[in-house]
Amino acid sequence: MKRALTVAALLGSAGLAGSARAESAAEILKLADEAYGAYKDLTLESTMIIKEPGATTGREIGMITQAKGDKKLVRFVSPGDIKGMGFLTESRDVMYALLPAFGNRVRRMGTHVKNQGFMGSDASFEDMSTSTWAEAWQPTLTGQDDKTWTLDLVLLPGHDGEFQHERIQVDKKIHQVTRIEYVDPAGKVVKVQTRGDWRLDAGTKHYTPEWIRITDHRRNDHITEIHSTKSVADAGLADDTFTQRNLVRGQ
Amino acid sequence: MKRNLTAALAPCFFFGLVGAVEESARADIDLKLSGSISSDIRYRLAGEEVPATYPSQYQLLENGFSRNENRVRTAMTLKAGEHVKAVADLELVYYGYSDVNDIDAATLRERVDPYFFEAHAAYVDIYKIAPHLDLRIGRQVVKWGASDLFNPTSNVNTLDYSDPLLFGKALANNMIKADWNPLGDWNLTAVWVPVFRPGQLPRSAPLAVTQIDRPAPVQEEAYRNTLSDLAVAMPPTHIDVIGMQPDVSIKNSQVAGRLAGRLAGQDVSLSYYNGRWGLPVPAWTINQPDGSASVGVIWPRMQVFGADMAGSIAPLGGVGYWLEGAVIVPQEVTYGLINANPKVGNPGPITFAPIDQADPSKPVRLVFNGSGTKPTVVPGSVFWKATAGADYSAGEHVYLNAQYVHGFIDEFGNGVVGHLQNATDAVTRVESRIGDYLIGGADFKVDSGLVTMRLFLVAKLPTFFKDAADTADYRFTGVLFPQIIWQAWDATELTLGAFVFLGDRSTKFGDPSAGASEIFGKVKFSF
Repeated sequence: MKRALTVAALLGSAGLAGSARAESAAEILKLADEAYGAYKDLTLESTMIIKEPGATTGREIGMITQAKGDKKLVRFVSPGDIKGMGFLTESRDVMYALLPAFGNRVRRMGTHVKNQGFMGSDASFEDMSTSTWAEAWQPTLTGQDDKTWTLDLVLLPGHDGEFQHERIQVDKKIHQVTRIEYVDPAGKVVKVQTRGDWRLDAGTKHYTPEWIRITDHRRNDHITEIHSTKSVADAGLADDTFTQRNLVRGQ
Repeated sequence: MKRNLTAALAPCFFFGLVGAVEESARADIDLKLSGSISSDIRYRLAGEEVPATYPSQYQLLENGFSRNENRVRTAMTLKAGEHVKAVADLELVYYGYSDVNDIDAATLRERVDPYFFEAHAAYVDIYKIAPHLDLRIGRQVVKWGASDLFNPTSNVNTLDYSDPLLFGKALANNMIKADWNPLGDWNLTAVWVPVFRPGQLPRSAPLAVTQIDRPAPVQEEAYRNTLSDLAVAMPPTHIDVIGMQPDVSIKNSQVAGRLAGRLAGQDVSLSYYNGRWGLPVPAWTINQPDGSASVGVIWPRMQVFGADMAGSIAPLGGVGYWLEGAVIVPQEVTYGLINANPKVGNPGPITFAPIDQADPSKPVRLVFNGSGTKPTVVPGSVFWKATAGADYSAGEHVYLNAQYVHGFIDEFGNGVVGHLQNATDAVTRVESRIGDYLIGGADFKVDSGLVTMRLFLVAKLPTFFKDAADTADYRFTGVLFPQIIWQAWDATELTLGAFVFLGDRSTKFGDPSAGASEIFGKVKFSF
């Protein structure tokens, strides 16, 4: 399953594509994909805050994410117990972890981890290894207002994922996905992701949300927040940034 | 992260580098610091006593504190531009035992509170010294293989066996490594290690050599029985062990190479190593005039041809898998006996009369003029080791990991190994030297992953690949390793656990030289 929550997604990024008057559900989804993929490369510094149910503070994880095409590289910079760890996603089925505690070994990860919480958060590895929506989801336009379209998505045959049904809202102005509802087989929304305070990256047409909030109702409203502190788009990241060798080298 | 270097280095009190950093270099150097502070307290239960060496208070009792460490680790990474990086990763370790066995020692802090340093890394990276070519020069660890912990293809660094909880941690060594990365994740690595560094043994290891009732480490049953009869008839007053380290000539340097990449979505590699096995092997015994015996140990040469593969099996829910195997060509090691004790016989080399083929277990006559046969300790024949494993995440809370291992981390060579006699049946058991093991582990995570309950089991299996001389009945032995790991708050980890050896003393893990069961508590703060 591919979806528009990536690391960028983690911080979600969208290109400003003008005011589409869209249109069919498929066209809206295509606009969202184009908005997401409008950058050549992206480097994001962010803090992920994992909050237990009811808590106002939580465990803070600092990370730097680089993305180019389908490839993502995530490095953790804090706290100390995970500092130096990293993940490289070369495609949706090829992922590596850098393990400093084991002599900086790079370990191939089975795709069974894709549905697992990323570092104990409410974002999954699958969320981290995304690219586009349109090729994996069948959309239906179920509503709209002045600012957003609402689409119901059903996973297309031949694609696997934790959820078979999702509901998203797409901003009519910048075509970004601002809300994702994850629906279980009984039709109940079990997880919600919202994104806000979009900022235009300097010198580019890319937008990055200053915050993402994920609430997992299955975990008693467990919350993960991701706050972007810095984003740089189209900096000219080399292709060999996304190699195992660079994963080890770059710490 | 750019900082004022002098200020940032202040916590690195033991690097001793502060004064060496020039003010003028500040603008060009990117500094990162990390490290940890930890404590590790263990208590051993029902072990076999091991006398203290250093610190003198650090003796292994039948029941007593077997570890009382404090560790302060600091790693410093310095980057100068895009092409150079230097890393120093040092650890200060306080034993937690005193070495005060005389009044002078009581006046010296280093004897009252002994410590040591460990350098996990001290190297310089030079990137793109030529197109696609990187160099790493200095003290480092080169870890190869696709398996978890049990890597038969990873031999460039020897292992530190002193902490059984780690199942062999690689010991950093001084070397030069070149990586050539012409395309994607295809990488060709070459390593040259000038000087061999032996592996570190656990404190209980001397029992494997110095216990007089232990079967002689030779392959031929007749010779083993002859040596046992001799030991019973004229037991040495004590046994010394002499390490016969390889000299530091060029012929003793080690080389290795590896080609790794991805084919059809699977990670694959081929590797080669030419060096030495990290654990000592008995090669000589001298019967001394005073009635003692001196055992000479060597680190045999070996060549290792390795291959590994790892990936994910989509039809099985994305199960991760790995396969790793090594074919090893060892140096043959024979057992030389020299007699210098007139009570045993004429001084000079001792060899053995021919084995009675009608009764291969029958002890033979000793030949005191050296014209007979020398026993074999490690046959020169090729042997293999392998690991096959898989892992899977079952839901949000459970992680499972299982491996089959042919050849444990301390096993080397074809042939058989004789075990201590069990007190109850007084039979010397002889098993294939390379054993088969099942290693299973499970993590149960709760409280958003902040608490992990981990259980690992190592179980020795009946030997699938039985040696012709292997006469032992299977007897269960293994390790049980439960832990509770609590990430109490950011960067702070508390661990409670036990490491339980299962099996009687005639088995691999029940052997007192392997160590004793322990309970432990740890705390670690990382920054």
